[in-house]
Amino acid sequence: MNNIVLKRESNTDFSSTDETSLLVVIFDSNPGQQFLRDNTHVLTHCLDSIIAFSNAHLMQKAQNKLAVMACHSKTSQFIFPGPGKPIDIRQTDGQYEIFTMVEKTIKHNLSKLLGSDISNILTESLLAGTIAMALCYIARMQRIKSPGIKINSRILLVTGSSDSASQYMNYMNVFFTAQKHNVVIDVCALDQHLSLLQQGCDITGGLYLKLPQLQGLLQYLLWVFLPEPPIREKLVLPPPVKVDYRAACFCHRELIDIGFVCSVCLSIFCKFSPICTTCHTVFKMPGPLAVKQKKKKLKL
Amino acid sequence: MADNGTGASSSLNSTLIKPTNLECKNLYDYLKTRTHNVLEKLYNHPTICLAVYRELPELARQYVIRILFVEQPVPQAMVASWGSQAFSKEHVYVSKVLSELCVWQEANIPGGLLGWILLPTFKRNLKVALLGGGKPWSMSSALEADSKARDVSFLDAYSLERWECVLHYMVGSQQQEGISADAVRILLHAGLMRRDEEDGSPVITRQGFQFLLLDRHAQVWHFILQYLDTVEQRGLDLVECLTFLFQLSFSTLGKDYSTEGMSSGLLIFLQHLREFGLVYQRKRKAGRFYPTRLALNITSSQNKGGITADEDTHKGYVVVETNYRVYAYTDSNLQVALIGLFTELMYRFPNLVVGVITRDSIRQALRGGITADQIIGYLRQHAHSQMIQQETKNPLPPTVVDQIKLWELERNRLTYNEGVLYSQFLSQADFNVLKEYAQSSGHLIWCNKEKRTLVINKSAHDDVKKFWKRYSKGN
Amino acid sequence: MGDEEEPKEYRWETGYEKTWEAIKEDDDGFLEASVADIIQRAKRKRQTQKTGTTKLGMMRHLYILLDCSDAMSSQDLKPTRLLCTIKLLDGFIEEFFDQNPISQMGVIIMHNKRAEKISDLAGNSHKHVKQINSLNRTSLVGEPSIQNGLEMALSSLKLLPTHASREILIIMGSLTTCDPSDINVTIETLKQEGVRCSVIGLAAEVHVCRQLANQTGGTYNVILDDCHFKDLLYQQVDPPPAAVCLDSSLIKMGFPHQMEADGKEEPLTMCMCHVDSVDEGSKLTTGGYYCPQCYSKYCELPVECRACGLTLVSAPHLARSYHHLFPAANYTEVAFEKQVSLCFACQKTFTETDKQVYSCPNCSKTFCLDCDIFIHDTLHTCPGCATNLSTFQITHTS
Repeated sequence: MNNIVLKRESNTDFSSTDETSLLVVIFDSNPGQQFLRDNTHVLTHCLDSIIAFSNAHLMQKAQNKLAVMACHSKTSQFIFPGPGKPIDIRQTDGQYEIFTMVEKTIKHNLSKLLGSDISNILTESLLAGTIAMALCYIARMQRIKSPGIKINSRILLVTGSSDSASQYMNYMNVFFTAQKHNVVIDVCALDQHLSLLQQGCDITGGLYLKLPQLQGLLQYLLWVFLPEPPIREKLVLPPPVKVDYRAACFCHRELIDIGFVCSVCLSIFCKFSPICTTCHTVFKMPGPLAVKQKKKKLKL
Repeated sequence: MADNGTGASSSLNSTLIKPTNLECKNLYDYLKTRTHNVLEKLYNHPTICLAVYRELPELARQYVIRILFVEQPVPQAMVASWGSQAFSKEHVYVSKVLSELCVWQEANIPGGLLGWILLPTFKRNLKVALLGGGKPWSMSSALEADSKARDVSFLDAYSLERWECVLHYMVGSQQQEGISADAVRILLHAGLMRRDEEDGSPVITRQGFQFLLLDRHAQVWHFILQYLDTVEQRGLDLVECLTFLFQLSFSTLGKDYSTEGMSSGLLIFLQHLREFGLVYQRKRKAGRFYPTRLALNITSSQNKGGITADEDTHKGYVVVETNYRVYAYTDSNLQVALIGLFTELMYRFPNLVVGVITRDSIRQALRGGITADQIIGYLRQHAHSQMIQQETKNPLPPTVVDQIKLWELERNRLTYNEGVLYSQFLSQADFNVLKEYAQSSGHLIWCNKEKRTLVINKSAHDDVKKFWKRYSKGN
Repeated sequence: MGDEEEPKEYRWETGYEKTWEAIKEDDDGFLEASVADIIQRAKRKRQTQKTGTTKLGMMRHLYILLDCSDAMSSQDLKPTRLLCTIKLLDGFIEEFFDQNPISQMGVIIMHNKRAEKISDLAGNSHKHVKQINSLNRTSLVGEPSIQNGLEMALSSLKLLPTHASREILIIMGSLTTCDPSDINVTIETLKQEGVRCSVIGLAAEVHVCRQLANQTGGTYNVILDDCHFKDLLYQQVDPPPAAVCLDSSLIKMGFPHQMEADGKEEPLTMCMCHVDSVDEGSKLTTGGYYCPQCYSKYCELPVECRACGLTLVSAPHLARSYHHLFPAANYTEVAFEKQVSLCFACQKTFTETDKQVYSCPNCSKTFCLDCDIFIHDTLHTCPGCATNLSTFQITHTS
């Protein structure tokens, strides 16, 4: 006398889990980027790929959620879901209504953003700040979810700009926050190798990919970044590379092997200087190299 | 010596051994049983491709998306190499599902290798759904703004009222008239109700009780499946109806859609859906309709409402305490009646009923054909959000869950076997020989040496009888 | 840091908090708005207490003095005081090293009028957690001796270089202490050495503990229940302001990186951390961190090189503590008058229930309460400032 057998429950070990996946795509659409300045078609190509990828994410499960952000040097914006009410869409072709809505909203908001931001183009995209916004958004989603539902959140960063050391502290803050909240950060580098963001991927358990060629962007996105973290272990994906965690000194921004650290503010310097440039502390002259080493000796 | 065998309890047993339980199919099970021709016809519509895609196992979805943009067949060995070794079993399962649903087919690759290629129709239409192109869906003709647009809360209230009407009818609690003869026929067809032997009025069956305890989503899906079974008898086209149903399931809540260009068959189908509360139409000939929450994502088997609290209409209302008390914050007679199926109701307030789970109340429910898992499942589904917050995985107190299961097991202490009694053996030796024989062939059910009696499986009766004859002759 | 002589009120002397009187019904007879208000104020209160820019003692050396006397077997904390403490310390140690990656910690237990060091000053959390967890088998006997404990901790802390911040945290279950000589002398020495002593009492207030904390610039609290205990314990995670007599200096550190041997397999080598440990056994492994000065190999960071004494850390370890030093600017509370419709960070639409919104003094973007708390408690970066190049530079040059 057996219990009722719900067919779908018998397969659960193989079928998908009952979890919602929230994806925040950050697209660096700063027109000052090197690879965008050469050829304007590249931007539309990238945008189309990202829209198709975003819709593919929504296609995975009915309860999947999506947000898309655009990152510039002056501001960052949510381009999906945009501010205000979702725009009203009537289908014109066989595309799923929601996908059409995503596409139209993203294009509409991005063109508005690009139109408003034409004065003096700056090359630096403030990615760390955008990730910070995304984390706030994810934190809100976690707060307002109905009880008993699990949300897996991740952030995908698609950028062609370089990561500047001036954002180092902001980067580290967002990486550690993401790590604490189990948010995975994936990075798809379109143009240059990004060592800081690679550290972020390593810290949060995400994937880092330097795109070999821009043409196949959509395929790379679908192959590498579409599977959400719980399924990634079931697929063969590019192995993590060893990440260089050396520090950059505050004075010359160069990577160093051995350096001096201020005991008050933990600033890193490559040479001994009598005063800390960060916290203006005056240091005692260095004792014999090994203040620390001989700590067992009595202090006189 | 005689073998005066009688199957004393045989007639009683057949019902006890195999009670027919409600069988719930998901979309995969449903489509698996269709022929390839029907499947291919179905895949001509982007909506169905989308629905099927979402129902695929996680890994299969990744496979499909990876070869969606590949024109040539992909070697099978290569597909196998995408998954990691530790999950090769899952790979085999996934490949089977994809083949069964005709999503991909085997194809020969020059060089003698076997490859996989997506069914061209499926591939084309999934791309249309994802990227655009193709013909618009049948219900999306342009519409002027509705002067009396209906908001989401109105639609929710409407669909709830319609659906509960059906359920109320099943439990026979009031509102007998709000349901059409057609709906009754479907309930009868589905075996959720049956004609009473005396006066021919429909009464609820044990499957009906089980149906009531399912979550709303599963109820609608099960009901619609049963409806689809009868659709061809009504002279409607199955493919057309399925397509429309899936279009409906991918529509947006709170938006109106046009009935323009719909065939007369579809319009009839629409009226049926209207009756069950899957769509709202102000008037029969209004020219526009609103899908309700019941129709949305009808296929997805793991849907649990919206992810955010403000989207979620499905509010839990049951609190179970470790002292076996059940508090249900509800004023719906239906929900009170459901709680009453397995609890002893103690108090009733305008918005709260209090019951207690007792051995007797549970046994009564079990006798009615409800299983322990269904009771637990019901309580878990409707657990109050306060309970879920404390313990996400298992909101119910484990003691209560265990006890309900124990009460069920308690009833299963007796197992029934049809058998034949052998008695009045003349000697202990004869008894031993027959016992040995039955034991060695595994047909012995029970024996008693002192009384020289044996009970042997009924199916083996002839065999044992022959053996006995041979043996007694030889003696 | 001056001595806080002003006597704080005892718990039973403070006005009784009549929480129910603070709750008022709104026009519709609902309590929610008023309750939300109370919660909100409590949330923000903690934040305003934090102010940046003071000098902090970042290189902390902390001794935990744990009472293991008879009094710890009392069952007023469930299951017993000791087990509850062990459980909380577990989490505390992890959090401590998470937030203070280049700090060190040691554990001393006090029982039977003696002090016993169960784990030496070290920067590795696993070892301490292991030692702490093995305590649940110790027999809880006799009285504790605060003086013996302090002397033992002091003898070890005395040897540290002058830039190190020295702290002692006493967890005291007993109401008495049995000391060999005058404890005031010990307190005086601690004060001179600049050792900050904090005490968490599990039973009731004891004069000598208050004296100790006041004299040395620490804090003294008595717990109300286990949640309060946890709160008090975790307050010790944030680095304290630097003591006056603390010298500052530049410390030489190594930043090892994993060797990349191009093309060929890395050789199997033995790491220095396990080379002479008996219980775990030393294994040959590939990979690891190499001291840039003497090329000894270690399998974990941070660590002090055994061969040349260089402190080896990785850059993210240091970066983890930067937010203590460069906190995000505190937002100002502004009454909500429909200035903006959305929270800049989380895109929440402001509604009638948002009576106050919060605005950043640098970038003048507007945030909701939840983001305000999230940004200052966890993120430590203002999303408004960090997404605009002009404000970004202001915050970084100041």
